[in-house]
Amino acid sequence: MTGRHPDARVVKRKRTAAQRLRHDWPLLVLALPVVAQLAIFFYWPSAWNIIAFMDYSPHRPFWENPFVGFAWFQRLFADPYFVPALLNTLKFAAAQLLLLFPLSIILALVMHSVVSTKVRSTFQSIVYLPYFFSWVLVVTVFVQVLGADGLVSNWLMSLGGDRMTFTSNPDTFLLLAWMQWAWKDAGWGMIIFLAALASINPSLYEASAVDGANRWRRMWHVTLPGIRPVIILLLILQIGGILSVGFEQYQLQRQAVGYQATEVLDTYVYYRSVIGTEGASFGTAAGLFKGVIGLILILAANKVAHRLGEQGIYQKS
Amino acid sequence: MPDSSSAPMQRRSLFKVAGLGAVGAVGLPFAAACSDLKTGEGSTQATEGFDFLPEYKEWPLPAEPDLVGEPPASPSAFTSYPEPVEGITEVPAGTGTYEITVPFWGEAPSNDDTYFAALRDAWGGTTMNLRQADGNTYADTSVQWLNANEYGDGILLFGWMLGSHTSFPETVVNSFYDLTDILKGDISERWPLLAGLPTQSWAQSVWSEDPADAKSARLYGIPSTMSGGTGNALFTRIDLMEAAGIAMPTTVEELLEACRTWSDDANGKWAFAGVDWIVPQLFGLMGDDGWSWDEEQGKLIHDCEKPEFTEMMEFRRTLWDEKLIHPDAPTGTLDGHALQVAGTTLFSQENPVRWYEYAALVKDGKAEGAIAPLPPLGAKGRKPTLKASTTVDGWTFLNKDLSKEQVEEILDVANWCSAPFGTRENELMEYGVEGDHFEYDASGNPVYTEHGSKIVQAPVNLKQFSGKVQKFLTGDPEVVQAHFEFNEMAKEYVVPSLFEGVRIEAPAAAKSAAQVLNDQQNDIAYGRAELSTVPDIVATFMANGGEEARGFYTEVYKSLNEK
Repeated sequence: MTGRHPDARVVKRKRTAAQRLRHDWPLLVLALPVVAQLAIFFYWPSAWNIIAFMDYSPHRPFWENPFVGFAWFQRLFADPYFVPALLNTLKFAAAQLLLLFPLSIILALVMHSVVSTKVRSTFQSIVYLPYFFSWVLVVTVFVQVLGADGLVSNWLMSLGGDRMTFTSNPDTFLLLAWMQWAWKDAGWGMIIFLAALASINPSLYEASAVDGANRWRRMWHVTLPGIRPVIILLLILQIGGILSVGFEQYQLQRQAVGYQATEVLDTYVYYRSVIGTEGASFGTAAGLFKGVIGLILILAANKVAHRLGEQGIYQKS
Repeated sequence: MPDSSSAPMQRRSLFKVAGLGAVGAVGLPFAAACSDLKTGEGSTQATEGFDFLPEYKEWPLPAEPDLVGEPPASPSAFTSYPEPVEGITEVPAGTGTYEITVPFWGEAPSNDDTYFAALRDAWGGTTMNLRQADGNTYADTSVQWLNANEYGDGILLFGWMLGSHTSFPETVVNSFYDLTDILKGDISERWPLLAGLPTQSWAQSVWSEDPADAKSARLYGIPSTMSGGTGNALFTRIDLMEAAGIAMPTTVEELLEACRTWSDDANGKWAFAGVDWIVPQLFGLMGDDGWSWDEEQGKLIHDCEKPEFTEMMEFRRTLWDEKLIHPDAPTGTLDGHALQVAGTTLFSQENPVRWYEYAALVKDGKAEGAIAPLPPLGAKGRKPTLKASTTVDGWTFLNKDLSKEQVEEILDVANWCSAPFGTRENELMEYGVEGDHFEYDASGNPVYTEHGSKIVQAPVNLKQFSGKVQKFLTGDPEVVQAHFEFNEMAKEYVVPSLFEGVRIEAPAAAKSAAQVLNDQQNDIAYGRAELSTVPDIVATFMANGGEEARGFYTEVYKSLNEK
């Protein structure tokens, strides 16, 4: 084997831009579609956030739209329905973070422990296929099964019981929403953790087993540390999107349980800006507020991750 | 014959209507930039008294109606099918291809069907492809299509859809073709049927860049039909009522008793699948945009401020508490039509179009019995009140990017589409091709084939592309007779609109507050909030936009009624 001496100093040759271009052009070409996609569909639309500071109308030349400073933000924060929507959003976000995120990890660990390939693939399919169902279908299935005129309710009625009001009860909507998330999304989250689990070196399990570690000790000392970077990464990303808890699920069930229980920031913007008549600037201001809060949270969470010795979403320089 | 000179909207002078400009001027953000938000302040538009409209030239009807009503509250009707005559002897040759966005409800018919090919050949060769979008979401999504100029060469919008738009007048003057120069004056030579449309229809198709400046008013839309009539009603399965020994209710109290007699929650039978949008009518809450003039208080008051509003909420809550309404009604996802056909529910809130549809279903063996509207109902001994439509159903707006020649070609098609009942053109439009989409029955009435039911019977496609010279009740003779009689009976209860002769776009805050009020009504109606909270939701509405709207509408009212 030939190789560099460990003590040998690496001499970095300075290359000109032209040399680097000549050397790296295949990589640059490969990256081009992604850069173009991001530029066209993300950065260019993001630039239009400026209309949050304008009294914008699509029918005027852009430069003729008057700047109104933070007037739309003032209107947003003064709206009595904004704070309840924000609080609902935070409530659902917390529930997703505390009650759904760990469920995906638990599912992945359970799946990882199943030895039979047949059982594993069957279980995996059952658990993650609902992810591909639309929210319309998910809500419909829940109404058909758990609704007031649904299967369970009619069965209870035949036994002399009362009708269920589970799908139209605002007091239990959080539980209903959690059941829907669990059925629809937990399986998909599981896939990512399964991929992380597959990357753990099996010899670590063997070595710990030889050292006398039982199943729980192996999980605690090998499995969880092995997927910790992925958990942290996904946690930070989840925290960054904390104000984006979904839309269709709440919009579809708004009439059934009432707006107080279901109004989140995205439905608030929809009903105010699209269905209502507040206009694009108002909706953009609300969206920008969400974005800024998300950015602050993601940076804060990343900072905490660095302090705990994790890589986070980007390498600490 | 409809004639602008006899139109009821002429009762106010042009001077008074022109005064509206001052009310609406601030609603349009055409002014120079400033730091105040102008979006959504509301606007008004006079819809009478213009001198640049198409000159009315009567287009003689090919057949006289069997039942003569008093349009618009009671349209005339045909109970027999007249031998259709050719309405347009010479059609202009057209070669263009255009795309028009229209709403549909149900299954969208294919543009490749022989029906559309026959229409194209009949009107001279111009191809009109339809972009058919879901009618349930059409109003809201049309806002985005218009903002992005992605609606093809034209778009059909019904009047009730305008409420979804912010500053719709601004959209109109910036997005749509100004038809004034093409249609001004005598157009009877090239477009005799368009010239035969009521002047009132054309006047309602005018928007202004600046409502304060009468000179900025221009003609932007091709008006749809003025259907008239009293509109929505509460329908019942009369066969089921008879079988259950329930008499036709004549008051709201009797209606409630009928609901109690019919409903059996344990066995899956309920009186209603939903009542939300018909129930205000039962309690006389028929304000224009919710507002009506109170003589005693000397001011405009909103429906929710009246004692009848609380009565209405008590009625809705009783339906829920006593299990007289389907338990899944709060989901808003019930198929009320299917439930009524199945006999699961007895009553339904409907447009009268459903009357004809149900009769067709029965003839096809797909439903049993019959439906009929309940007579106008009043509560606590009060006289019922109804509103009759005095406006066009909607408009087709053409894209401003079209050339004059293209617009003229499309108007050729619009002229053809305006042919009234009794013409061959109308028969082709309404029933399709004989032998393919319809057959004549023994009485000589056209009856849809299965193919025709799927393709032609759809309520929209090109039937509302431009208005008919005159609208009649037509179709199943028995239903037409009953519908005509209902309208004749109901016109006694029709109250005039407070703001006739003006089109109003409410301030955005009022629209948002109304949305919340509606949500809160559902909370009370479905047991999520107590009846005792009615005063609270009214106070919330007034504080969050209601009072602002009162001021706005009061200005409009004063402008129209100044001595």
